[in-house]
Amino acid sequence: MILFDHVTKLYPSDPRPALDNVSLHIAANEFVFLVGKSGAGKSTLIKMITKEEIPDSGKLIIGGIDLDYVKKRHVPNYRRRIGVVFQDFKLLPTRTVYENVAFALEIAGMSNMEIEKTVPKVLDLVGLSEKGNKFPDNLSGGERQRVSIARSVARQPKILVADEPTGNLDVLTSKEIIELLQKINDYGTTVLVTTHDASIVNLLKKRVITLKDGKVVSDQKQHGIYRLDANNDGIHLPQPGHMHTENYLEDDDEPHMCTERPIREVPKTVHISPDGTPVSQPKRSNPRRRLVQ
Amino acid sequence: MTKDQKTIDNLKTMEKNNSHHTLRNGRRILKYGFIGYGRNIWLSLTSTIVMSLTLILLFVTIIASLMLSSTAEVMREKIDITIFFKPGTSTSMLEKMANTMRKDSNVRNVEYSTTEEEYQKFIEEQKDNTELMDLLENDEDGALKELMMAGLQSTMRIKVVDAEDLTSVKDIVDNNEDFVENLDASREPTYDTNNAAIDTIVNWSNIARVGGLGLSGLFLVISILVIFNTIRMAIYSRSEEIYMEKLVGANNSFIRGPFLVEASISGIIAGILSAIISFVAFNALTPKLESYDIDVSKVSAFINIDHIALILLAFIGIGVIIALTSSRLAVHKYLRRM
Repeated sequence: MILFDHVTKLYPSDPRPALDNVSLHIAANEFVFLVGKSGAGKSTLIKMITKEEIPDSGKLIIGGIDLDYVKKRHVPNYRRRIGVVFQDFKLLPTRTVYENVAFALEIAGMSNMEIEKTVPKVLDLVGLSEKGNKFPDNLSGGERQRVSIARSVARQPKILVADEPTGNLDVLTSKEIIELLQKINDYGTTVLVTTHDASIVNLLKKRVITLKDGKVVSDQKQHGIYRLDANNDGIHLPQPGHMHTENYLEDDDEPHMCTERPIREVPKTVHISPDGTPVSQPKRSNPRRRLVQ
Repeated sequence: MTKDQKTIDNLKTMEKNNSHHTLRNGRRILKYGFIGYGRNIWLSLTSTIVMSLTLILLFVTIIASLMLSSTAEVMREKIDITIFFKPGTSTSMLEKMANTMRKDSNVRNVEYSTTEEEYQKFIEEQKDNTELMDLLENDEDGALKELMMAGLQSTMRIKVVDAEDLTSVKDIVDNNEDFVENLDASREPTYDTNNAAIDTIVNWSNIARVGGLGLSGLFLVISILVIFNTIRMAIYSRSEEIYMEKLVGANNSFIRGPFLVEASISGIIAGILSAIISFVAFNALTPKLESYDIDVSKVSAFINIDHIALILLAFIGIGVIIALTSSRLAVHKYLRRM
C-alpha cells in the first residue's frame, strides 16, 4: 500500500539528507508507527506521501499509484485518495465541525444529499455527533483531533497518515485518539502514525519503523516497542530473535525493491518468528469493511 | 495497461467528473465566499472601509484636478488683448481691421467698439454718478459729450487661442498699415502691460492640467497599492487555510473562488459606500465652491442625479476590479507554494 524504494531527499539548507536511501513497504490494512527523534526524517517521509515534497531519487508507490506519474494538476485528486491528520489539526477556523468534514466531500464534487448522509455518520464514528455546529476554537484539543480524523476518513481513503497526532494532547486523550485510529484500521484502512510518544507505541504493540538521520535503522514487524536508548534518541536496536524483530532492510533473503523490478510488483511483508523462520501474516478479522455504510 | 496507468486514468476520470460539477462547485464557492465575509467580519470590514476611503480620495483627486483645470480654463478665456484706436476711427475701418485680425490662426474672437459705443458704455457705467448725469443733461450744445468722446478711443478686444504666443497678433498690430495709421499712440495695447498676469494664469492653467493628470495617476497607483496591501494582509492572516485546503485535496479554483467572492463583496460595498458619500458631499459643497469662483460647471454636468446609476457603476467597477486583482495575486502567492 505504501512503498518507498531507495528514496533520498536533500534540502538545500541542510548538507545532511533528510531521507537517505529509505526503502520500506507497508502492506494493506497494516497499522504502523514511524518513530524517531526530531529531524530524523519522519515529517519529510509524510510530506513525500502527501506529495508536498518530491524525492531527489528513488521511487514512491502509494495506494498503487506511482507518484512519478502524478503531475501537478493531478495532485488534488491524488490527495483526496489519502487521509492526512496533523499534530496541529489544520482545521478551517471559520467553518464549523460539520463544514470542516463536509469540505473534504465538497471538494470531491459530492452532492449535497450524499454529504448530508455521510457527515453525521462520520461524526458519529469519531464521537462528535453533538458538536457539528461548534467552531474549532470552541473544542478541546482531543475533539479537534477527532474532527481532523473525521475529515480525513470521510472519503473513506485506503490510507491514513497521521503526523504526530497526539503531539499536542494529554496522555488520556492521546490514548483515545490512538484507539480511534486503531478502530479505523480495523475497518481496513492502512494507518501510518509518526510519533514521539513511547507509551502509545508500546501500548499497541504494532509494527514500529525507526528512523535516525534520515535512515531506517529498525523495522519491528510485530509487537514493536519504542525504547529509549542511553543517548535518549529513541532508537531501538534489534536483538537477534528478540520479540519477533527483524531488520527488514538487512534481510538478504527478502525480495525488497530495486529499480530493475517492475514497479507494480510490491514485495510481501514477511514476519519472522522468534526462531527466525518466516510466518504468514496474521489475518484481519474483516478487511476493508466500510467505515460508513 | 499497467496498474499505474489505470490509476492515472482513474485520476483523470475523477478530474473530468469534477468538471461536470462546475455549477455545484460554483454555488459552493459563492456560499463560502459570503460565509467567509461574514465570519471574518473584522478583516472584511477593515478591507471594505480602507477601500471606500481610498475610492473617495481617488474621486476627490480627480474632481479637484478637473475643477482646477476648468477654473484655469475659464480664467484663460477671460484673457483678452485690447487695442486702442484714435477717437473717431470709423466703423468700416474697424471692421476692416477686425477682418484682418480674424485671419490670424491664433485669434479666436475679435470684438470692437466705436467711440460712440464706448461713450454709451461709459454713460451706462456712470449712471449712478448724479453729478455727471446732471451736467450731461444740461449739456445742450453737446460740448461736454464731444469733449468726453475725444478722450474715448475706439477699441478692439481680441481673444486668442494660445496666450503664450502673441507674436503673430503683435506683428499685425505693429506692421499692418491700417493698424499703424489708426493706433492711438497715447495708449499701448494691453498685452504689454498685463503680461505678468497673463503669464500667471497661463502657468496655473498648465499646472492644473498636467499636475491634475499626474496627481490623479499617482493617486490611482497609491489606491491600488493601499487596497492591494490591505487585501494581501487579510489573506496573509488566512494563508494557513489555503495550505490546509490544498492538503485535503482542494483544487486551486475551489480555494481561490471564495476569496474572490469575498473581494468582490468588499469591492461592491466599498463602491456603493464611496459613491454615495462622494455624491452627497460634492453636491453639498458645490454652492460653497462656486462662491469661491471655482468653476464646477463641467464636473457638475456629469456628477448629478441623472447619472447616479453610472456613477455607482463606475465606483463599483473600480472597487471590484482592484479588489479582484489584488485578491487573485495574493492568493496565487500561497497557492503556488505547494
